[in-house]
Amino acid sequence: MAIKLTGGEIYDPAHKIDGKTKDLFVVDGKIRKSLSDNDKLETTYDLNDCIVMAGAIDLHTHIGGGKVNIARTMMLEDEHQHPHPGSDILRSGNGRIVPSTFSAGYRYAEMGYTACFEPAVLPVNARQAHMELADTPMVDKGGYALLGNDDFLLNMIREGATQNAINDYVAWLLDATQCIGIKVVNAGGIHAFKYNQRRLDVDEMGPAGSKPRDIIATLSRAVHDLGIAHPLHVHASNLGVPGNFATTLATMAAADGLPIHLTHIQFHSYGTEGDYKFSSAACEIAEAINNNKNVSADVGQIMFGQTITTSGDTMMQYFGHDHASPKKWTVMDIECEAGCGVIPFKYRDKSFVNALQWAIGLEIFLQVNDPWRIFLTTDHPNGAPFTSYPHLIKLLMNRSFRNDVFKIVHEGAQHASNLASMDREYSLYEIAIMTRAAPAKILGLTNHGHLGEGANANITVYRKQDDIEQMFAKPAYVFKDGTLIVKDGKIVETVQGTTHVVKPEFDRAIEKPLKKYFDDYQTISLNNFKISNDEMIECIGSEIEVHPSISNT
Amino acid sequence: MQFENVTCPHCGLLCDDLSVNVTDLTVKLADSAHPCAKFFENASIESNTIPTPQISGKSVSEDRALEKAAEILRDAKQPLINGLITDIQTCRDAMAITEKLGGVIDHANGESIRNNGAVMQRIGKVKTTLSEVRNRADCIVIFGSKLSGKFPRLFERILLPKKTLGNKNVDNKKIYILDISTDGTFRIESGENNISRIFFDFPLLESIVYRLQEIIYKSAKNISTIDENTQCLLDLYETISNSQYTTLIWNSSEFNQDSAEQTIQAITESIKYLMQKIRCVGLPLGSSKGEMTANQVATWQTGVPLPVAFMTGTPVHDPARNDGMKMLANNEADCLLWIANYHSEDEPPNTNIPNIVLGHPNMNANNATVFIPCGVPGVDHRGLACRADNVATLPLPKLRNSHLPNANELLRKLKELV
Ligand SMILES: [Zn+2]
Repeated sequence: MAIKLTGGEIYDPAHKIDGKTKDLFVVDGKIRKSLSDNDKLETTYDLNDCIVMAGAIDLHTHIGGGKVNIARTMMLEDEHQHPHPGSDILRSGNGRIVPSTFSAGYRYAEMGYTACFEPAVLPVNARQAHMELADTPMVDKGGYALLGNDDFLLNMIREGATQNAINDYVAWLLDATQCIGIKVVNAGGIHAFKYNQRRLDVDEMGPAGSKPRDIIATLSRAVHDLGIAHPLHVHASNLGVPGNFATTLATMAAADGLPIHLTHIQFHSYGTEGDYKFSSAACEIAEAINNNKNVSADVGQIMFGQTITTSGDTMMQYFGHDHASPKKWTVMDIECEAGCGVIPFKYRDKSFVNALQWAIGLEIFLQVNDPWRIFLTTDHPNGAPFTSYPHLIKLLMNRSFRNDVFKIVHEGAQHASNLASMDREYSLYEIAIMTRAAPAKILGLTNHGHLGEGANANITVYRKQDDIEQMFAKPAYVFKDGTLIVKDGKIVETVQGTTHVVKPEFDRAIEKPLKKYFDDYQTISLNNFKISNDEMIECIGSEIEVHPSISNT
Repeated sequence: MQFENVTCPHCGLLCDDLSVNVTDLTVKLADSAHPCAKFFENASIESNTIPTPQISGKSVSEDRALEKAAEILRDAKQPLINGLITDIQTCRDAMAITEKLGGVIDHANGESIRNNGAVMQRIGKVKTTLSEVRNRADCIVIFGSKLSGKFPRLFERILLPKKTLGNKNVDNKKIYILDISTDGTFRIESGENNISRIFFDFPLLESIVYRLQEIIYKSAKNISTIDENTQCLLDLYETISNSQYTTLIWNSSEFNQDSAEQTIQAITESIKYLMQKIRCVGLPLGSSKGEMTANQVATWQTGVPLPVAFMTGTPVHDPARNDGMKMLANNEADCLLWIANYHSEDEPPNTNIPNIVLGHPNMNANNATVFIPCGVPGVDHRGLACRADNVATLPLPKLRNSHLPNANELLRKLKELV
């Protein structure tokens, strides 16, 4: 069956199409420029007065895995305050800040998102993370496996293992955990916290006998050598600490020119100037991104209001636990692998620090020149729930709206930021880059994020409106692999996405030391640690799509 | 045929190092003296006769049994789905049918995990996991002495492993098992492997928790009267203060149930207080019949833990009103769907209301209105289960071809019929 989308204004940055009106066809779930004689046209959508983009992709959103369930348990009030009734086609659910899985999938689809990536898959918790993602309908998904605080890798680094051996381990782990990328959180710091160390700087020796810099250098090299499309995804050291921009710059340098993605960089862009000894270093960070083409970042914008922070970074979550609101906090050491910290937080516009955090995020957005290397995230739910994306897009696209909001925040923060003087307004084309084309490119999803011949027909159609927030909140149509799933912001059909994974080749000999490590120290056997492809389908409940390695020569 | 690395779902530790022999429908651990051998042998089906579905004790076809079950569920105003002693996929499908029925769903032992959950909800937690304890703990404090009965391999697998990633202190860790004495005398029994069993002259197990908390909060110099009990806990506090990684372990069912939540809160507050200077963590060990599995699924699918009620059209968590066992006792449910296919002894509670049992093939369910014998997860079909520490999920293998139906498939068929 074929459908025709006619008269829409197309924004497809992957093909440098910036608002040109042209027709698109969809045949068997794929985009086609024209129909062949055999294709029977079933439906035509008249998209006059509409904007057409590929389905949006969130490359960093915490929607699955053990820490999310901890957050749901801790935010029981929020769950009950935001009930979502079911229907003939929808499962019911709860929650605005940490929604239940079905609800998360529905909300993403209603905003025109067709793929989401869980950035903190603890290897031992990967099955649960994948099950939660499998129970998140509508969107495609994938996960980044956490490394860099696991005793196996830290021991390899301390013992001077070859880069090849480390590459084998990284590739083995991706295969075993069914992930698409590698993430490191506070390299070595989560491990050090287990030895009661409360801070760890990039060039400080941790109790494992390695420095964060070495861990990042080793892992970014492994990701590069293995041809994994997504650069090493790095949550830098010293999150939230005034003056941490220097740490962030050192972390960028640790990659030594290889691709590196710094996540929720807003939380890592703080200086120590001013009366409050807390200042914006957005300018320094943006300049570093502008000058280093190997660096990309997502922002982790905060929004005012109640949320909950969920992170693998036990060390820095514990550091910040006094700011919990309401007053409760959880930290957990996990399986000689990682950890997690879950702390509710209320960002207040009348707080100097929170207001400046808000401004710093926007300053970074507005000062990074290349929209292909800066990504729109709130680090859901850490900065704000993902449902605030349409509001964030409006802040980026509308200077007077932005400045109106800025005028009511803490006055000291207004003086401490030059946000009001920034006149950049993001264009629709740039929004399409940062929410579609660029995330697809940086994840290696060749059939996503664009509207070219043969692409998966993930298409979002917005009806033009003066209020850009309204426009992005309720698309007129969303198609997932050619199926109309949303009409006028409401779900009309449910679909089940696939899980995107990479499986670079490696030398199976790595299983020999791994087997010994598992037998000697772990409480699960090597065989049962690995998630097989058929287990993904039969038991976990998701199809997988394996993406080939890229050539890095 | 012999299978290796088989996971045992019969306690929350989910040990996965078992060798299992299967001949026809007989299942045996290779090591018959193994502490978990009897659990596995329970799955053996005598004389190779596959039990059949029954209505009021009479054999019927699966279709007929499902029709009758659907009729009962359709007629019920307040259906209760309980048991949930099963694998993840069956829990998922049980959630789906409960939602469609507008019923209440809970785990048979739901109450035992709510205390820990409520403390997490109110103040948060400091927790650890099994491998972390195994490799880093140099000081273990266990409240109550019944733990190893519930978790037969806790010492062998977790507390006293042959090798650890830790230093000498971890290899020579100190283990304290704290309980109350029954004869009114304080005493310490020191055993092998630095294990000390300390029996306090206190009325309740929780008294130990509260006195220790007092000592942690006030520090030694401010405690006025020092008897043997207090001196012992002062010494213990000193040991904890000088240890690298102290782990406090408890099983909430050993505490007085009326105040277990407060007791667990006191342990958690003590840990958080200690955390200001040292590392100290908690390991609640409660799950012995798949409670964590069921609770995790409920929490991710609905945003709230068990019990979950769907009467209003959205999932509601109200344990005071919807505790499964209490609803049965108070005649607040008019139909019971009982799901339990790990072990034959997990029979449904006695009840006068129509009841449907999706149960273990060796279960005696003669009193059930409808009984459909199901395959055992980890024996008859593949499955997944969550470990007691709420972090690791382990695969359960398929070991034999019994052609017993999978409970999750039955639930899917049933959902279409109601
Ligand atoms: Zn994050």
